[in-house]
Amino acid sequence: MVLTWPVGIGRTTQRDQTSGHSRRKLLGAGVLLVLGGTVTPLTGCDLFDRDDEPTPPPDPLRPMVDESLALAAAYRASATAHPELADRLNPIAETHTAHATELARVIGVTLPSAASAAPSTAPAADPNGARAALRALEKTAQQSATAACAAAPAERAALLGSIVAARATHQEALK
Amino acid sequence: MRQPSAGEALASALSAEYAAIYAYGRIGVRLSGAARDAARQAEAAHRRRRDALVVQLTTAGGVVPPDRAGYALPFPVTDRASALRLAAEVEERTAAHWRAALASTTGADRDQALAALVEYAVRATRWRKTAGLTPLTVPFPGRPT
Repeated sequence: MVLTWPVGIGRTTQRDQTSGHSRRKLLGAGVLLVLGGTVTPLTGCDLFDRDDEPTPPPDPLRPMVDESLALAAAYRASATAHPELADRLNPIAETHTAHATELARVIGVTLPSAASAAPSTAPAADPNGARAALRALEKTAQQSATAACAAAPAERAALLGSIVAARATHQEALK
Repeated sequence: MRQPSAGEALASALSAEYAAIYAYGRIGVRLSGAARDAARQAEAAHRRRRDALVVQLTTAGGVVPPDRAGYALPFPVTDRASALRLAAEVEERTAAHWRAALASTTGADRDQALAALVEYAVRATRWRKTAGLTPLTVPFPGRPT
């Protein structure tokens, strides 16, 4: 193949690292699940791809990668705001990053840069409020992982079960 | 590696529940107060799952593994500290058996396995908190290490 794709005018392509930013900005607290398909790869290629190579549907676990990274970022932000909680929060942040890494490996994507996963809201001013907010995030995330585990093929069920359980144990650890 | 059938996975979980119930018999006598109450509740949960599994496996015509008179504990239980450590270990190990059942099950059976994995993982964290062990959580509960 000697064709090269036009880079597009004023748009980002799949290879453009900045595309991760525009996507992540959409990552509000509760809208994680609707993502995954928002950045259509190589928009400039529609002319060639139209009939014979439909874009494969995004992996159903793709949003969970972003969700895990967003959780890790929320913990890091709270640990920075409340250094007295750092010993408790940092290991949990690392766990969420480990989940994102494992999920990305399973679905065959490169792990997006964790540094750009900024939390959607600033941590609460008081430590108890910050902990309660993290517990609420974990609860919601546990529910989404539970749904993913129920729907998953056999080879993914155990990993997803561990992620559900981890999110439950985090709520307990934050009490 | 061949994936075990649902019946085999649940039979393995049942064997783990037998061992957990045995272990809590040794744990409870070393504890007092709130920790003893928590051990009693934990043991009751394992008994409920054992009973449900026996019914489920019998109804399905599967093999129901027999309970044994005794189980080897990973370390001796001699005092409160070792009892709490064993309680955390028991929960983690039974959680691992239920996690293994996830891949072999679907629908309501998988929901049941996931509920057990989550419950035991959370209880392991509680025991670690009571025992003063760190970290309180592990990254992948139930995953073989």
